[in-house]
Amino acid sequence: MSTRSGDPRVELLQGTLDVLILRILRFGPAHGHEIIKAIERSSDDVLRVEQGSLYPALHRLIKRGWIDFDHGTSENNRRAKYYRLTRKGRRQLDVETTKWETLARAITRVLRPA
Amino acid sequence: MKRRRHLDALDDDIRDHLEREIQDHIDRGLSPADARAAALGKFGSIALVKEDTRAVWIPIWIDQLWQDVRYALRMLRRSPGFSAVVVLTLAIGIGLNTAVFSVVDAVLLRPPAFAHPERVLWLTTLDPRIKDEFITSHDFQAWREATSLERLVAYDEFDGRLTAAGTSAPARVATVSDDFWEMAAARPALGRLPVPGQSETLLSHAFFERWFGGNPEVVGKPAVVAGHETTIAGVLPAGFRADLVPPPSAATRGIGAIDVYRGIVVRPLPNGMIQLFRAVGQLKPGISVETARAELETLRARWARANPGVPFRPTLQVVPLMDKLAGGARAALMILLAAVALVLLVGCANIASLLLARASARQKEIAIRTALGAGRGRMVRQFLVESLILALAGGSVGLVIARGSLQMMVRLIPQAVPRLTEAALDGRVLAFALGVSALTALTFGVGPALSFWNANPNDALKGGSRTVSPAAGRLRARAALVMAELALTLVLLCGAGLLVKSLWRITARPAGFDPAHTLTVTVQYDTGGRQGGEEPRRAYINEVLGRIRPTAGVEAVGMSTNAGGRMRLFIEGRPASPTQDRPTALHSSVSADYAKAIGMRIVAGRWVTDAESEPVFVLNESLARGAFPGEDPIGKRIQTGGPPGATAAAGATFGTVVGVVADLKYTKLDASPEPEIFADYRHASPFTINFIVRTTGNPLALAPPIRALVAGVDKVQTISDTRTVEAALTDSIAPRRFTVFLLGVFAATALLLALIGIYGVIAYSVAQRTQEIGVRMALGAERRAVVLMVVRQGMSIAIAGLVLGVAAALALTRVMTGLLYEVTPTDPSTFAAVIGVLAATALAACCGPAFKAARVDPLVALRCE
Repeated sequence: MSTRSGDPRVELLQGTLDVLILRILRFGPAHGHEIIKAIERSSDDVLRVEQGSLYPALHRLIKRGWIDFDHGTSENNRRAKYYRLTRKGRRQLDVETTKWETLARAITRVLRPA
Repeated sequence: MKRRRHLDALDDDIRDHLEREIQDHIDRGLSPADARAAALGKFGSIALVKEDTRAVWIPIWIDQLWQDVRYALRMLRRSPGFSAVVVLTLAIGIGLNTAVFSVVDAVLLRPPAFAHPERVLWLTTLDPRIKDEFITSHDFQAWREATSLERLVAYDEFDGRLTAAGTSAPARVATVSDDFWEMAAARPALGRLPVPGQSETLLSHAFFERWFGGNPEVVGKPAVVAGHETTIAGVLPAGFRADLVPPPSAATRGIGAIDVYRGIVVRPLPNGMIQLFRAVGQLKPGISVETARAELETLRARWARANPGVPFRPTLQVVPLMDKLAGGARAALMILLAAVALVLLVGCANIASLLLARASARQKEIAIRTALGAGRGRMVRQFLVESLILALAGGSVGLVIARGSLQMMVRLIPQAVPRLTEAALDGRVLAFALGVSALTALTFGVGPALSFWNANPNDALKGGSRTVSPAAGRLRARAALVMAELALTLVLLCGAGLLVKSLWRITARPAGFDPAHTLTVTVQYDTGGRQGGEEPRRAYINEVLGRIRPTAGVEAVGMSTNAGGRMRLFIEGRPASPTQDRPTALHSSVSADYAKAIGMRIVAGRWVTDAESEPVFVLNESLARGAFPGEDPIGKRIQTGGPPGATAAAGATFGTVVGVVADLKYTKLDASPEPEIFADYRHASPFTINFIVRTTGNPLALAPPIRALVAGVDKVQTISDTRTVEAALTDSIAPRRFTVFLLGVFAATALLLALIGIYGVIAYSVAQRTQEIGVRMALGAERRAVVLMVVRQGMSIAIAGLVLGVAAALALTRVMTGLLYEVTPTDPSTFAAVIGVLAATALAACCGPAFKAARVDPLVALRCE
């Protein structure tokens, strides 16, 4: 997490990019650039992702069989790779989401004792 | 695979991504240049992204290894001379090692050809005074009861003749008892197995093809094999072989090359006569060799109690057949393997030395790479990869060398080592070569690679190319390597020297003995069914001698029976002593001109004549000394018994000793002379007949006509051998010549490598010191002093190496004792000669660089920086 006070944006926690990609793909297939944009948009631009790191993450998820890809044509008639969630990935997203919520609740409780 | 292709498209994906991002920024109003900068900034390092993505699929070390390999290949291509020298050195080292290993593999490691080779035992009885190994029919009968043995085979092997279906052919015959077929897993390709109890025969496939043109009609036909009526029951498949230990008389033929297998039945013989066999047995599964030996010993003891008075051989030997087959070759092969490993080690020392020199030259490259962030581990790995590539290249070329040298060994001296002809470069040998290559890479690569461990990039980069600290440590390391090299070479040279001296001792021959001009023609006498005892045989011998004698170019012709058998002697007038304690001697029947033909020197009395009225004997000096110590044997009366162990043969008469001849080694060179007794052939039974022809000219030119003459006397007789006595003698020491030849080659290779090694180090050191030498000369040092300085430096390394080597050699040559002949393992003259040769070599290697140093022009040397 960034410690710089001026910048409201925070860097992504190690390993969380994977689950974010899965979550974005829950809405439907998307190509790489769309995924990044979607992450930035849906976090209200708070999360700062180094765009390049998307690619190792995508390959990691493909290797695990959580996502797959097809070739398609984008809105302006350009060829693009569309990534989509697999059945396995869908299940994994549920697991990861629960894990994340549990972790977040626990950390919040420690930082802000009621 | 779709997912892998995904990786290949990564570049496109990234470009696509960036284009979209740039477009976004342009849409937001940035100039194309700014948009591009912003997009790149947000994306991060493209190279790193690619590497991380690749790492998802390909373990990072493989990727780096591949980089290392490509880099190493580039470096090696850049210095082709260096690479060639290293690869060639390694190729010789690995090639020789591989060749020797393939021989070791074939001879010592590969099991013999039997159904259960690991359970096959060699069974024999021994008498310390009579070296022949055999069992008697009594032993065979008694051992059949052994419960620890699953099968027991009695066999014999000899040269004979097979006559069937109008064809008569010389054949290598093995007579084998029933169990043999199962034990050797014989499955006839044609016909069937011999029926136990019947006299039936199987032919080898090669023999069947060669003499019967592969005609299946011959199966089932009657045949005569070495005088015995038999039936050809079938033909063995082409790949069939049985590794039976041949009798000594046939050992030079190699193992397993048998043409005809005749089934025999071992039966007790009447009136106490015995038959001699060789025997192999197969253990029952799970039974130990020791158990079998103990059981056979018990059976022997029981038999001896039940048959008192029948001669009994004192010692039983039970060993795995594999050990027996390897026999005397084991020690020699182990020494050769050790020697060839030393050659490779010397080669490795040379290469390590070269790599150290190159390491100094590559100091800058290393410094730059370290400064750019390459880790030490990565650098060391890089160097090891280079070493490994060199070693593998050396190994590949080495395989070619191994193949060539193996072919040469097999062609030069095929009978030197049992089963040598089976040696081949198979999977095991390839695996060995690969293993040795990898090990070699570690041996010569680790030191130089680690010499970078403490490299400080600052030092290297600051200095100019010449004044970089001369890596004194590395030079010291190289000197140590050369020292070790010289020490190893000295050990090898001493070993080779001792063997050469042994060979020289062995082949030194007495005056009068001229084996090069003496032919022997060996005839396996076959009665051909004729009756009449010895008379036809004597008539045959007379006829052959009479026909050869007048031939042009023949100086003398004689005859002797094969001196293979030993007999016990009974000396008239001696008090009766137990049979075992009576003297024994090799017995041969000879003709009048034999002594002259072979070149035997008469020491006392006379030789036999062709007209002895009663039996006479001639003794050699060994027997005269042993049987008649302090007495004059001439005039003494002797009776010869049957084969060793038997009582005096019934009806044998006493004969008079008429002469004594000097000991002569005319059959086996590297054995000490044995006691021998010669009888005139008219009064003793001649068995295998050797005609000995002393020629005035080239003996080999006379061989065909003499062979034809002998064949013309009686076509039934098998002439199995026509060659010079020299050739026969040379064959008798074939294993020794094999060892000497190989060890000599190895030692010479090591010497050459050591020469290169010491030259390399001294030349390099002179090059490093050019400036210093220039200064010395500018200050008035004489050229002679400079030469002396360099030579002293080189020779101090050499002398240290020699001292080390002598110490090692003194400790190591002892293992060779068994291979030496009349030479002690620490023979001073051999050691002195070897030290002299090495010192001279080292001196020669120093002289080149020394004179080069003396030619240094001080002006040039000082200006060059």
